[in-house]
Amino acid sequence: MRFVFAQSLLDVDFGLFFWVLITFILFLIILGKFAWKPILSALSEREKNIKESLEAAEKAMEEARKVSAENEAALKEAEITAQKIRKEALEDAEKIRADRMQKADKDANERLEQALQQIEQEKKKALIELRTEVSDLAIKAVSQILDAEIDEKKNKQLVDNYIKDLSSN
Amino acid sequence: MINLFRTAFLVIIILLANCTVANAETDKSPEENRVDLIGKVLDKYYLDFAPLGKVELPRIIYDEEGLHFFRSTTHAINSQRGFTDAAFLDSGQIPTGHVKPVSYELARTNGTEIKMDLSITNHLFFFWLAAFVTMGIFIPLSGKYRQGIGRTSEPKGGFQNLFETFVIFIRDDIAKSNIGEKYEKFTPYLLTVFFFILFMNLFGLMPWGVSSTADITVTAVLALFTFFFTQAYASKDHWQHIFWFPGVPTPIKFILLPVELIGLFTKPFSLCIRLFANMASGKILIFALLGLIFIFDGLFGAVVAYGTSWLWIALTLFVYLIKAFIAFIQAYVFTILSALFIGMAVEEHHHEEHAH
Repeated sequence: MRFVFAQSLLDVDFGLFFWVLITFILFLIILGKFAWKPILSALSEREKNIKESLEAAEKAMEEARKVSAENEAALKEAEITAQKIRKEALEDAEKIRADRMQKADKDANERLEQALQQIEQEKKKALIELRTEVSDLAIKAVSQILDAEIDEKKNKQLVDNYIKDLSSN
Repeated sequence: MINLFRTAFLVIIILLANCTVANAETDKSPEENRVDLIGKVLDKYYLDFAPLGKVELPRIIYDEEGLHFFRSTTHAINSQRGFTDAAFLDSGQIPTGHVKPVSYELARTNGTEIKMDLSITNHLFFFWLAAFVTMGIFIPLSGKYRQGIGRTSEPKGGFQNLFETFVIFIRDDIAKSNIGEKYEKFTPYLLTVFFFILFMNLFGLMPWGVSSTADITVTAVLALFTFFFTQAYASKDHWQHIFWFPGVPTPIKFILLPVELIGLFTKPFSLCIRLFANMASGKILIFALLGLIFIFDGLFGAVVAYGTSWLWIALTLFVYLIKAFIAFIQAYVFTILSALFIGMAVEEHHHEEHAH
């Protein structure tokens, strides 16, 4: 008798089965469409947003780190360049100075040389002048001395010969 | 099949039967004093607001003459359309005039069979209530997400935060961790099942409420859905493992075939029985504990019954708390096992693993 109760507890009631089945499908569709879909899509969108912004922040941080590293490197490089430029400038200046000095030395020497040559030339010229002067003087003196003794013709010939000798020298 | 069900509950039933018998034997008028414990868990065609009264639910009957709709059982019996209470037919005397239903089982007075009884029942009412509560919570909640709260900003308010925690828990810890990559397809089903079961379980804790999950029909439908989802989305590997288990010698394949086939059905079967048995037994246990007061009254007299009543009431309260806990646990267990079964079926195996 009492097992009949127990049995009824374990019986599957067709009417209830039918309704539960139908309405569960219905509610599953309604909930799926109007509740779970917007909620789950919103949640995944939010998580995606958070993930993306985290990644973006990470990326920006990395970028900033990179930029700062680059800046530092550029600064260092600039310093090195500046140092190099300074060094080069100093070297250049030194070189220019040396060049100038050399050039000045050379100029001075050249001028000295030129002066010496000019002096030599002047000396030669003076010597030639001196010779003609001396010969003229000698002729005058000799003609005065010999005026009385030797005739004009013979004298002239003699002096000419002497001058010929002189100029050939 | 039904016999299997019965053996699972035999221990409880015998215990209760003995209790009732003991009570009945010592009492002077056994029939009147008998409390039908199992009847408390059974489905009814009315909402029981004892001792205030009953609210009868509509009856829908399909027989040879077609569909019949009645506002209530009383209405059906008094409608002069050839329906009466089955108890009247059994006793052989059909009362005349305005009568109240006794067994609430309808029968045709002309003796023809009722083909289908599609009446709205107690359990169905609470099943629908759970459904409407679920919709009443989550459809307005989804409105918030549609507006952008929780989509682009953080969730606002306790309501949204509370239920979002549940939703995320089910999605991440139940769906994602058990199903794997394909979890998105099944998350709506798992969410629906979880909240339906949870609310149905919780209704059982309320005054005059019953838990529809203490009805094997309801749990059977739920298990059927898990079975359906498991098989509908099962991978090729799943079927291969059932019909031609890879990586074992051929004779063993023949031994494994029936084992795997039975396994296919025991999974939803266990889901169905587990939930039903947990919810029904909790309820029966509460009634049985309170019933002990009356059994002691019958056995040892009123003094002992009053003296020990505090113990039974304390125990009942303890069981009630456990039941509140179990309401969540069983909803969780059903959902996680559903996810697990689905996960096992949709998983794509690598055959190298089974080569030995």
